[in-house]
Amino acid sequence: MSTLEQYGLLVGLAMGTVGFVLGLYALARGLGKARQEPGKDVPATGGQMSREPVWVRYHARYYGYALLFLAFDMEMAFMYPWAVVYKQEGVVALLDMGVFLAVLFLGLLYGWSQGALRRQ
Amino acid sequence: MTTVLVLLLLLAAGTYLVAVLEAWTASGRFRLAGPVVAGIALLGREFIVPRKPDRIFFEVAPVLLLLSALLAAAVVPLTPDLIITDLATGALFINAALVYVLVALLMAGWGPNGAYAMIGGWRFLGQLIAYAMLIVMPITAVVMRAESLLTTRIVASQAGLWNIVYQPLGFMLFFVAAMALAFLPPFDLPTAKAELAGGVEAEYSGVRLAIFRLGRLALIVTLAAAAVVFYLGGWQGPWLPPWAWSAIKILAVCATMLLAGRAMPRVRDADLLHWCWILGIPLALLNIFLVGLLVLVLP
Repeated sequence: MSTLEQYGLLVGLAMGTVGFVLGLYALARGLGKARQEPGKDVPATGGQMSREPVWVRYHARYYGYALLFLAFDMEMAFMYPWAVVYKQEGVVALLDMGVFLAVLFLGLLYGWSQGALRRQ
Repeated sequence: MTTVLVLLLLLAAGTYLVAVLEAWTASGRFRLAGPVVAGIALLGREFIVPRKPDRIFFEVAPVLLLLSALLAAAVVPLTPDLIITDLATGALFINAALVYVLVALLMAGWGPNGAYAMIGGWRFLGQLIAYAMLIVMPITAVVMRAESLLTTRIVASQAGLWNIVYQPLGFMLFFVAAMALAFLPPFDLPTAKAELAGGVEAEYSGVRLAIFRLGRLALIVTLAAAAVVFYLGGWQGPWLPPWAWSAIKILAVCATMLLAGRAMPRVRDADLLHWCWILGIPLALLNIFLVGLLVLVLP
């Protein structure tokens, strides 16, 4: 199978899944509709309307981790091609990536020392 | 085409067994017909759309959860031939597909415009920041040994020695992170029945809830299958045929995941982040370094 065909298959799988779900929805709809009653569609908030609006800005208390996470996530994009050719390249690859990871690890330690690794 | 259908049927069967297992570990009652009854009940129930929802997010979330589990399962082999598509970037593709679990849960949290769901969704974003590195870093170490991203070749690379022996540290990290990814107890922060009334699931009812739960169960099976392929030698084993070994190992990993969480209290989100970053990531880097040495030293 060519690469294009493989991705075609995955697209087909995705569309099949959506079709399956829509079929189930149609079946459920065929069994009956929801009866319209007052108050039924209020989101769960312990028996009353929520006092404040829900779609507001939140304090993401893990933002210190999130910033470090960006650096690590980018680094992983480099790691995969490196991992594939690692054995061919041998010690050179280990040293190259070793230096890179050491710098990154120092960054993690520095972030920790500055209090990035805690709930803000 | 037949392969695809067979694999989807096997995935459905696995999902069914995991549903039975989960009910068994949760309630102590072993009922083979349980999931059928629950499914029919959910189909017959009303499905309510909360007032003033973000309709697109609300509708897309359950489908996306199921879809991400299925797409990840598409590159996981059960035998050398029994695989939906053997992508050249298989090990990377699993990561890419599983990230959509986060997107689905965030949508499910934001969409219904309810407080509990919203808290669950944002919590899972924090949970992703904790577990994500512990999924991708151990997989890198697996790829280093296999010299390929092809999942079939990753299994073949474990012919002499399974990766669970070769890199036990990586397996432990991956296992814990996989449980966090599938939001199984003790990492069920986004759903948290006791404190968030179901969290991201809270506003879903009827057939939408059925799809959501189906997606979650399929996700557990997929992650167990990925753990088997990456660490437990895939289809390899004596006496029995390859597919039987795959099935046995996947069910064993599922059962371990479901049982492991039962005896533990739910982890706090702040603690999860803290331990994943100060302990998990250094250990994952150490694992990459150790495997790097082993790959060069061992023939």
